[in-house]
Amino acid sequence: MVPVQYNIRSLFVRKVTTTVTAIGIGLVVFVFAGALMLREGMNHAMGANGHSDVAVVIRKGSDNELSSAITNADLDRLKGHTGVAAVIGEVVVVIAGERDDGSGAISNVLVRGTPAEGFTFRPEVKIVEGREPKPGTPEVMVGKGIAGRFKGLSVGGTVELRHNRPLQVVGVFDADGASYESEVWGDVDYIRHALGREAGVSSVRVRFDSPSDFDAYRGDIEGDKTMAMKVSREADYLRKQGESTSSFLSGMGIAFAIMFSIAAMLGAAITMNGAVANRSREIGTLRALGFSRFSILTSFVLEALALAILGGLLGSACVLVLTLIKVPVMNFQTFSEIVISFHATPSVFVKSLVFSGVMGLVGGLIPAIRAAGVSPVEAMRA
Amino acid sequence: MNIATYARRNLFRRRGRTILTMSAVALAVLIFCVIRTVVAEWNAGADAAAQDRLAIRHKVSITMQLPRHYVDDVRGMKAQGVKAVTWANWFGAKDPKERIPFFAGFAVDQNSWFDVMDEFQVDPAVLEEWKKIENKNGAIIGDQLAKAFGVKVGDKLVVNSDIYPGDWEFKVLAIYKPLRRTADRNTLMFRWDYLTDDPRATFSKDQVGWMTARIDDPGKGAEIGRAIDAKFSEKDDQTLTMSERAFQLGFLGGFSAILHAFDYVSLGILLVMVLILANTIAMAVRERTHEYGVLRAIGFPPGHILGFILGESILVALVGGALGVLVTLGLINGMIGPFIEENMSGMFPYFSVPTAVIATAFGAAVAVGVLAGIVPAILASKLKVTDALRRLD
Repeated sequence: MVPVQYNIRSLFVRKVTTTVTAIGIGLVVFVFAGALMLREGMNHAMGANGHSDVAVVIRKGSDNELSSAITNADLDRLKGHTGVAAVIGEVVVVIAGERDDGSGAISNVLVRGTPAEGFTFRPEVKIVEGREPKPGTPEVMVGKGIAGRFKGLSVGGTVELRHNRPLQVVGVFDADGASYESEVWGDVDYIRHALGREAGVSSVRVRFDSPSDFDAYRGDIEGDKTMAMKVSREADYLRKQGESTSSFLSGMGIAFAIMFSIAAMLGAAITMNGAVANRSREIGTLRALGFSRFSILTSFVLEALALAILGGLLGSACVLVLTLIKVPVMNFQTFSEIVISFHATPSVFVKSLVFSGVMGLVGGLIPAIRAAGVSPVEAMRA
Repeated sequence: MNIATYARRNLFRRRGRTILTMSAVALAVLIFCVIRTVVAEWNAGADAAAQDRLAIRHKVSITMQLPRHYVDDVRGMKAQGVKAVTWANWFGAKDPKERIPFFAGFAVDQNSWFDVMDEFQVDPAVLEEWKKIENKNGAIIGDQLAKAFGVKVGDKLVVNSDIYPGDWEFKVLAIYKPLRRTADRNTLMFRWDYLTDDPRATFSKDQVGWMTARIDDPGKGAEIGRAIDAKFSEKDDQTLTMSERAFQLGFLGGFSAILHAFDYVSLGILLVMVLILANTIAMAVRERTHEYGVLRAIGFPPGHILGFILGESILVALVGGALGVLVTLGLINGMIGPFIEENMSGMFPYFSVPTAVIATAFGAAVAVGVLAGIVPAILASKLKVTDALRRLD
């Protein structure tokens, strides 16, 4: 076995080539890790607030809260089952928001009308600026993801829900990274009155005494054919909401990373080929000293691996900059915008390093085979 | 042996390396062209939206409806330049068997819809049939949708809705012919009164989802839009009038952010290309330093050395780039493009590599060649003859 130190030192001797190749691999890892971080961010936004003891009830046939409608009579029938601790009915609507970046572009913002208990129902929601809206008033609070991104959506601002019925923004809230942070929350009665939708709500959330009460409740409600409701666990519902956007984003990012990686592998192959060609005398000497062909092969594969991992570390370090960026993405279910951030997790880094390692192995294999084939006599004569 | 021969022979002195580098450049150019094509064709699709049509929606929300009588109010605005008005409601159509992931379903006014939306062509005789009350359940659908559902004219078609409960049964009356490439071929259109007379749709009784107005002068769109919105500014339901394109982008707006990211990604691949090429050139220059010393010693000026190296770098980039462009043309125009045009016509009515993208790719290849070669070229040309001759490796 040739000492690994030999390879590491060789990499340092060829400073320019090593740096250039490592940066190339680093760039590819950057794209790869960026795509993974975006997916993690999306999953976090859609799944973070899925409580196992909470169910979401929407009308059967609807795919989301926006298109669902539940009458007040049905809302009452959803209460009073065994194991049910709390029930809230909420109204959900998207409104047109004018982007506050001077472009004048219109995008959809989700407005949620919730009863006074709605705030205590979700303990993770905390006010970070201003105060909580008073129940029964036109006061609202906006999620910190969209606060300031749209005209009127910051403390002291107003947005119209209907002519001469402005909602007044009194606070900004944090919801632990969940998609709620891209919503506007106000009073359910005020909002549905303004919309002329007093007859019902959009969706209902049910909290159980214990997560195990879910199955029986679901059986009761979905079995009642007079109501036509769909009951899902909150986590499942949220995951399904984000699924199409999440798989779209990560699929696209990973496709790019794979295309990029082929280019980077060719780059690694060029570098390693050059290394083998320049060092054929050294390789011949090593063979003459008694190192086997297999030792030479492993030695050069390890060198390629070290080079790629160096690039991988570089890319992984630089990609952390992305955590400072917030990206608005479209929730295809509601046509509204959710602002997500790149989310760094240990698994992203493990995957990125494995990815860079694979690039090094594939790129370095053929040059390493060439190195193993060097004939000691001829190499030393050259 | 002249300078050109020398440069050409240099190129293939390390045949393996040159071929690897050229393939890497070709691949990078391929990726670059694919990304640029997606961006260019996306914008082309959006630009092809009719310029002489305005969409009039509820000011507050796309899910909120406008009173039916607004249509007559806008129709009355002839003096301001409104030529024709029609309306539709979004049906939230879904395949009951969930075979088709997504398609558009509109409840439309049978008397005016196809006059305004003239990219959908329907036989006038069939259109007259459709206006008769006995054909109230008649639906006019796109050919791709008909294929996906496996239905033909005269068949029964059952569709569900995300908004209106239960099964909705239609009779397929006609398959429209898309006259423009931008016309979606997956749309279901049926009579508005079939929807709003149904007890399951009381919510939409006398309500329209949005209106589309044809105007006489596309240049006056913004002005007419303001006039329409002003007309309803004191009503409970206010309107928001925008170009049809802006209206469509409102639903697909998420894509613009993604396309913005594509710009960075396409720059990223060029950067990878610079790095790979720079590595190859740097290696070649290091190996030949001694030779450059000889050339200088026998009288070649430094400018020639610079020219050799830069020329080699640009040549590799151009050959690789040409290869990449050829593969792109074969791949997109020959294989992927027709598939996308067939299956995603709503988003990409055209999908072939625009000439501008090819030109950009060649321009980018030259730029990459210069960027990758400039530093080694300058360093080598500035090297002292004696130093260069002393270098042996």
